[in-house]
Amino acid sequence: MERNKMSYKVSQFLMFAGPASILFLGTVIIPFIYGLYLTFTSWDGVSKAKPFVGLTNYMAAFADAPYWQALGRTVVYSIFSVLFINIVAFLLAYMVTSGVKGQNFFRAGFFIPNLIGGIVLGYVWKFVFNRAFVAIAESISGGTAPSLLSTTNGAMFCLILVSVWQYAGYMMLIYVAGFMSVPESLKEAAMIDGCNTFQATMNVTIPLMRASFVQCIFLSITRCFMVYDLNLSLTKGEPFNSSVMAAMHVYNQAFTYKNYGTGQAEALILFVVCAIIGVTQVYIGKKGEVAA
Amino acid sequence: MKNKTIMTVLKKVGAVALTGAMTMSLLAGCGTTGPADGAAAGAAGTEGGESAPATEAAASGDGASFTIFNSKMEIQDQLVEMASKYSEEKGVNVEVYYSSDTVAAHLSTRYASGEPYTLAMVDAKDVYSLAAEHALDLSGEDWVKDTTNAIAIDGKTYGFPVCVEARGIIYNADAIKKVTGKDFNPDDYATLDSFTALIEELKAGGMATPVGIMKEDWSLAAHYLAEVYEQREDPDAFVKELNAGSTDIGADEKFNSMMDTFDVLKANNYAAGSAISAEREVTEQKLAEGEIAFMFGGNWDWSVINAYDYSENMGIMPVPQNMDDGTNTKLVGGGSKFFIIDSSENTSAAQAQAAKDFLNWLVYDEAGQDFIVNTCALVPAFSNITLPVADPLGASVKKYADAGSLIANYNYLPDDHYSVLGAAFQKYLADQTDRPGFATEINTYWKGVTLAAH
Amino acid sequence: MEEKRTAGSGLSRALMMIVLIIFFLAFVLPFVLVIINVFKTKGDINSAPLALIGSHGFILSNFPEAMKKMDFWRVFGNSTIITTCSTILTILVSCMAAFVIVRNNKWKACALLFSAMIASMVIPFQVLMVPLVSVYGGLFGVLNHRLTLILLHTGFSVSMATFMFHGAIHTNIPLELEEAAYIDGCTRWQTFWKIVFPLLKPTVATVAIIDAMAFWNDYLLPSLVLQKKELYTIPIATQAFYGTYSTDIGLVMAALLLAMLPILILYLFLQKYIVKGVTSGAVKG
Repeated sequence: MERNKMSYKVSQFLMFAGPASILFLGTVIIPFIYGLYLTFTSWDGVSKAKPFVGLTNYMAAFADAPYWQALGRTVVYSIFSVLFINIVAFLLAYMVTSGVKGQNFFRAGFFIPNLIGGIVLGYVWKFVFNRAFVAIAESISGGTAPSLLSTTNGAMFCLILVSVWQYAGYMMLIYVAGFMSVPESLKEAAMIDGCNTFQATMNVTIPLMRASFVQCIFLSITRCFMVYDLNLSLTKGEPFNSSVMAAMHVYNQAFTYKNYGTGQAEALILFVVCAIIGVTQVYIGKKGEVAA
Repeated sequence: MKNKTIMTVLKKVGAVALTGAMTMSLLAGCGTTGPADGAAAGAAGTEGGESAPATEAAASGDGASFTIFNSKMEIQDQLVEMASKYSEEKGVNVEVYYSSDTVAAHLSTRYASGEPYTLAMVDAKDVYSLAAEHALDLSGEDWVKDTTNAIAIDGKTYGFPVCVEARGIIYNADAIKKVTGKDFNPDDYATLDSFTALIEELKAGGMATPVGIMKEDWSLAAHYLAEVYEQREDPDAFVKELNAGSTDIGADEKFNSMMDTFDVLKANNYAAGSAISAEREVTEQKLAEGEIAFMFGGNWDWSVINAYDYSENMGIMPVPQNMDDGTNTKLVGGGSKFFIIDSSENTSAAQAQAAKDFLNWLVYDEAGQDFIVNTCALVPAFSNITLPVADPLGASVKKYADAGSLIANYNYLPDDHYSVLGAAFQKYLADQTDRPGFATEINTYWKGVTLAAH
Repeated sequence: MEEKRTAGSGLSRALMMIVLIIFFLAFVLPFVLVIINVFKTKGDINSAPLALIGSHGFILSNFPEAMKKMDFWRVFGNSTIITTCSTILTILVSCMAAFVIVRNNKWKACALLFSAMIASMVIPFQVLMVPLVSVYGGLFGVLNHRLTLILLHTGFSVSMATFMFHGAIHTNIPLELEEAAYIDGCTRWQTFWKIVFPLLKPTVATVAIIDAMAFWNDYLLPSLVLQKKELYTIPIATQAFYGTYSTDIGLVMAALLLAMLPILILYLFLQKYIVKGVTSGAVKG
């Protein structure tokens, strides 16, 4: 049949995927390749000369202790954030699909934080932590009170808290969709068989919502790993550079400390780590599911 | 029926396509407005050096147009207003930009995109890294002879000093007088002993915590700690010794002298329990309104202080120290923020000339001088400008500068110095490390850096 | 879509309500704080951030001043044009690409494109930032056009959108429908727009909402592409504003509120569709 001809394939592909491919190639792939090239140079970000230095930047990246600390910190932050984002999102989704009064109102309310960009969110929360909470604590204790943002663990806690606050509403909606995709009849059948509500949820609903879990976890992992906006506007790495996440370190390395090549190499390492974790997670999650 | 649906679909598709095309052309239309598009067109041919200026001049008609990058947040408002006035009067289109990004990061994207600012206000260290490739040689300008604050590299002047800034302890004399009942004369408190006695007197008089400390890493490391390097004969040699590991800063007399003073400040910090989260705004408001009397800072802090109900008599005094080397009668500072003119082919000769004219206007025109001194409340960096400085902190700085009592800035600190040692200093401020621990971090840092040649 | 679970006693229901209300308050708290502080002078904000009305009284002046300084209406116009066009373009190109990818998953070009798109979803933007401006600014000199930003926006979001359309076409569009159309003599192009596209409406809504929000709030990319004042979008203006006037916290509050207000209003109007849109398309990723 003519459908197997090469020319047919090419014309079909170009007709449908042509515009998307060109835009994707132009905005992502070409700069990515050029960026890859820059990791082999000792460019400082501003000068015209971009001397080729081979693998030096990668060696510098591997020897850059603060980078690995930042990456380790990012892993810790991501684990907690992903965990709590999904727990909170799931619980909220459970509650707003249980038929309580005003559930649509609640759904809308929980989604509000998603309407605002990370930078603005960070500034708002900074104000909350540094001024509002401090004012409350001071009026209770009568003296001066430190802000949560001023301690190492406190700053980390704040970052996680705000991330949960920011993403839980979005993930909640995906879980809501998951809940709604499970036919009520299946649960009823389980309850007739003697399950209580909790058991029915655990044994029937949750296994059927696998796709929602995979998607939410993938989205939350990738977003947490690449956190930058929030990091910048909420803590700026303080106190004592103890809340510098990987993306922020990369940015500082490239621009503030003017080691562009090293920063770019570190960013690529971040990309590889992130891709491996994300893909593994999707792979494990999708195993046992009908192939997508 | 089948045909009908197909037709409607095709109509819809056609409509979408048409809307799309219309939007595109509309947008293309929008995009090509604006006077400086010639620059983009010129840059299109990668090395289109010759054609770019021609397009530019044609596009902008009579007067050239140029852009200013401002990195001094406090004067952004004033600059924008001045630019619109200047544009009107001189027939030159001036646009002012500001970015809260670091200067290097921001300029890096502008250089990469081939859209540099004609006139960029940068820090001293940036002049050294940018001058060779990106800045125009300004040695031939008139103003070079009227200042000692310009930056020259290899005998060529590149950086036009915007103002003079100096660091020290900002005091609120009214607040002190209110407690002690006596007029405050900063010269009486040059030693740490006398300063401590005054603090005790203030505390006894009811001002429980007379000091505020800015916890920002740049204030701690780039301003306070830097004085340890700067208050000596040859800062360069000292830094080289640190780098080579042949000197232990923990045993350095100057370091210990400065830290002794810092300990007194720290012990009397109003936010002692929450030193790391004290907000600059709040601290400066307290200082302005006399709730506290002292804060380490510089004359740039006036832009924050003057937004509150500030006291009349304020000023800057040297950091009190017991070390007897004369530095406790001097402020540390000098030229601050430098204009460089872009030297790439993206900037036309007409634009560069307009920028040069603008710099001359700042120095020699009465309106320009008035702008620097009165509108922006800066301390002028040029000896021919004799207008009295408007704000009290600036007046203090001017007094010390005129008397030759300014210790020069050390402009060659590595780019990550403020961040790494700022973090270490914050730890000290928060009592998470002691002085030997802090000294060790400084020693370790310096041994690990590569010093740039200068 | 009215789902009702009959389980749960009155007590657990009341408990659930309380938990929901607590969460709800936590979710809106920061907005409340912004709103009460926007009507105060900066001195009052510093000294009493929690007071409903500052000692200098209830002031409105923060708004007009912030609007004037950030040139609100112009940046609002820019943001609107850019968001609308980018969203429409993204939807059109991605659903077409997803269609050809799903229906011809054995073609090498399709497989390659799709895997590249998936992988690109985890590239940190910082990696592409300088190369991007080097290529489009230094080499082609096409920065400072709204069209450039629209195309770049589309290029960056096309992977995620294709991914979502891929899932939707794969699971929700029966192949039989299309084959019936071919038998009736439709070309693939006609079949796609006539049969497939209308069935994708829920996903279109989802992608539209997610991307429109992302475009509206995006800061980094627009700040790199649009370097001229007359082209600034709301986030660039807000950020420039925060940098410039961070000392004047009252103004900053007003600017923050102004930045979020348009999308908040839009959201309140479209709320029902947004919740539906995000949920209906998201089941299968």
